[in-house]
Formats: sequence, C-alpha cells, structure tokens
Amino acid sequence: MQKGLRITRPGALGATLILLFAGEALAHHPVLGKFDQDTRRTLEGIVTKVDWRNPHAHIFINTDENGETVNWAVEIESPSELHISGWNRESLTPGDAIIVSGMLARDGSQQIWGNSVRRASNSQPLFTLDPNLPRLPLESRPAPRWPDGQIALGAISGASDGYWGYPTKTALIEDGVTVPMSPDGQLADIGDADKVAPMQPWALGLYRHRQERYLQDDPMFLNCKPPGGTRQYQSRLGLQLIEDRERERVFVLLGSGNRNYRIMHLDGRDPVGQPGGDDDNPLYYGRSVGEWDGDTLVVRTVDFNEDFWFTNGGLPHTNQLTLTEQFTRVDYDTLKYEVTIDDPGAYTRPWSASWELSWLGGEALPVHICQENRP
Amino acid sequence: MRARAFSLAAIVVALALALPGQAQEGHPLSGSWIGAWEGNETHDEFVLVVLDWDGRQIGGMINPGTDNIEITNVELDPEDWSIRIEADTEDSNGRSVDYVIEGSIQDLELPSRYISGTWRSGDGRGDFQIRRQ
Repeated sequence: MQKGLRITRPGALGATLILLFAGEALAHHPVLGKFDQDTRRTLEGIVTKVDWRNPHAHIFINTDENGETVNWAVEIESPSELHISGWNRESLTPGDAIIVSGMLARDGSQQIWGNSVRRASNSQPLFTLDPNLPRLPLESRPAPRWPDGQIALGAISGASDGYWGYPTKTALIEDGVTVPMSPDGQLADIGDADKVAPMQPWALGLYRHRQERYLQDDPMFLNCKPPGGTRQYQSRLGLQLIEDRERERVFVLLGSGNRNYRIMHLDGRDPVGQPGGDDDNPLYYGRSVGEWDGDTLVVRTVDFNEDFWFTNGGLPHTNQLTLTEQFTRVDYDTLKYEVTIDDPGAYTRPWSASWELSWLGGEALPVHICQENRP
Repeated sequence: MRARAFSLAAIVVALALALPGQAQEGHPLSGSWIGAWEGNETHDEFVLVVLDWDGRQIGGMINPGTDNIEITNVELDPEDWSIRIEADTEDSNGRSVDYVIEGSIQDLELPSRYISGTWRSGDGRGDFQIRRQ
C-alpha cells in the first residue's frame, strides 16, 4: 500500500472556509472586542521584549515616529496555539527588526493586533497559525478496540498517546443552518442571529447584545471560567478521552481549560450530587452519566450552573440545560460528536449540532493556563 | 419598625455573603437584587427583590422574610431591556397595596447589572434602583 498522506477529509473545506473568513483572529479569542477591524496600521520597529504567556503573547517594539521613540505592544495568539504551529519564545528575540500590520486598539492605546508580523530583513512571516487539518493516512484505519471488542475513545496504549483536536466547527450552530461567522462565533451579519438556534426572545436579545459587543464579555477570557457544555469540544487546543474501564467512567481532559477535567460516569448511577457541585466539579461541566449504544457512547448531562458561556459566540443557557451527547469513533482518526441541546429556559425547542474532531496520535495535549497573563 | 429594618439588613448581608458566584450569565433577571425605592414610607427605602425565571415567566418576591410582597407580573422587552414589575400586598391595616415598578436593565453584560426606574403605589412614587448580587 502506498504510504501517501492527504489533508482533505469531510468537513475540511468548511473548516478552511471558516478559517479564511476569520482572517483577524484565528483562534477563539474575542479579539474584535479589543481591536477595531476598521482601524489599521503598519509599524516597523525593533523588538524590546517577547512576553510568551497565555492567553495571548505580546511583542514589545520601539518605533521611530518623527524622531521620537514610541513603544508599542503587539498582541498575538496564545503560546499554546502558536506552539502547535511550530513557534516558540525563541522565534523572535530582542533586537530583531519586524514589520507589523494589524488592527489598532479601540481605546486608542498603543496596542496593535498582529494580523501580520514579518521580519524586516526578508519579509519572512512570523507567528502564523497553521490552518491545515492534521495530515491523515491515505486510507482510513479502523477504530481501535479493547480486547472485549468495545471501541476505544482514546489511546489504548497509554493516556498520553494522542488527543482529539481540530474540530470541524468551532462555534455552535444548529445543524442545517449556514451563516458566516468567525471561528470564535462572531457573526458576519448580526441580522443572522435568529438563525443560529431557536432562541427565546430574551435569549436572542442577550445573544445579540454579546455579539454587538464583539464577545468582549466572554467570562472564559475575562474571568478564566471553564469551557463547560459543548465548548470544550470546539477548542483548537483539543481534549483527551481517558477511559477508566475498571471504575466505569471516562475522563475528559481539556487542552483549553486550565487543566480542568470532566468525568462521565458509565456505572449506572443517577446524575445527582452536592447541591453546589462536587469538589471535582463545581457544575461547569454538569453531572454526566452515559452508556454505550453499540459503538456510540451516549452521555446525558444536567445540573449546569449559569456562571459561564457554554458556547463560543455567546449563545445563552440556563440551569435547565440538558445535553445529550453522542461520541462515535467512526475510524481511527475521526471522532464524530453529536449533541442535542434541550434548554426550555432559553430555547423554544430542543435542537442539535454535530461536528468531527481529528486524532493527533503521539501528540501531548497542549497546556493552556488562562491565568498566566492576568493582572 | 427598627426590628424589621434590622431583619431586612441582616438578610441583605447574608445574601451578599452567600450568593456571589451564582447565576450570572443565564436569564438577565434571575437572581437576587438589592437597592432602594426612595420615598417609600410603607416599606422603608431599602428593598430586596428575588426574581426567578422558570422558562416561561418571571416570578418572585419583594422583601422576602419581612414584607413578603408577592410579584404578580413581570414584563421584559429584550429589544430595549425595559421592565415592568407588578406586585401586591396589604398594609398593616389589611388594605390592598399595589406596586408598579418600571425601568430598564443597565449594564446588561455585567454580573452586577442593575435596574433603574421608578416605583409607584397609590399616591406614593419615587426613584427605584436595585443591583444584582
């Protein structure tokens, strides 16, 4: 068999279009809340410092403006995501000359988003994110199974032997609906808000308000709240599914969640616990119980708190939310994730969404600590 | 009167200590709100309002534990976040007292959003402002 590689797969085109649409902010940050896409500038300067910390790295440069030295802060993507694309803190050092083009801060401060960062000497692009999906085998491989025949959701050989990433959708939207939006869920046209999901009037109003403010109030960034609900499956930073078969539970380890984890119990228990949440679960991830239906793990989760956004893009939820998730490893490298959102407090009817994630074999789950670069 | 005001203040303090961290990103009205209805001689100026969204309508109570003024109707317009609250109770002589509070939600995006407007009841009326805890 030919050992070729390919990068196309179902959903790849859609994902690529989304990434192209984004342009400004490839990842999941509410960048447009801070930077104005209609006000841009190009700067040439000398690097004085590289601050390589999550949630966003910064490059500090000195520019010469009419004979005066002016210090600018260039904000770029998170080190976690830059690392995936092959960059590190040594990619640029003090004294290097760079040219930066990007959006200026809305508050008029000397901050600029690094839409384009290049070396002044040779125009070599710096700190670009690789939008390509992981390279996959030319022919699909069957999903791995445990000795008893049950599909394995993660690596059989060990917990650190790969993770799931590169979701084909990074913002929640009802299946069958197509509206242009950025990877972080910012609508291209606010008039499309009512198409995204069947929201009650108050929820639609709140969703519009969050969108009109460019998602700048997202508590996952403002307060480092966990990516609960469906959000954990739409992060570029991925997740691991660790099966503890002896105790009949599955751990979800999150690349995006400050080393958070979620437990899905498969031992037949009811989804009950302490009213305010358990020590390992303050209800950002709800209470999850599940069972296998053939090769699909079906998980029902209730008891979410209302202290977070459960989606990129700011779709509201209430504590009446029930998620029914289906995890199907359709082949070795593909995990299909299907979810039904039933929240009579925020939506007029149950609705569903689905997407796929890709297996990154042999890769370590990225570590992203939101609090690193917080004042 | 002083004992009742003390009780209300104690509830306010207890809620302030106990509630931070609860529901902030769900329905904008759900939760406990503390503030003042200025000029209210019947029920003091300090006011505690507890609102709850059940998926269909907003219910709740004004000054629970002391005055127990039942909220009978709440209308919220998500176009401009204007709000109208109607509540019924009785005074110390057993006469019916109806309240109408009209205003709008300010700082909607903040956990500490507030409602600013006016209250009226019979001949009484004044400014009304409560902040979510």
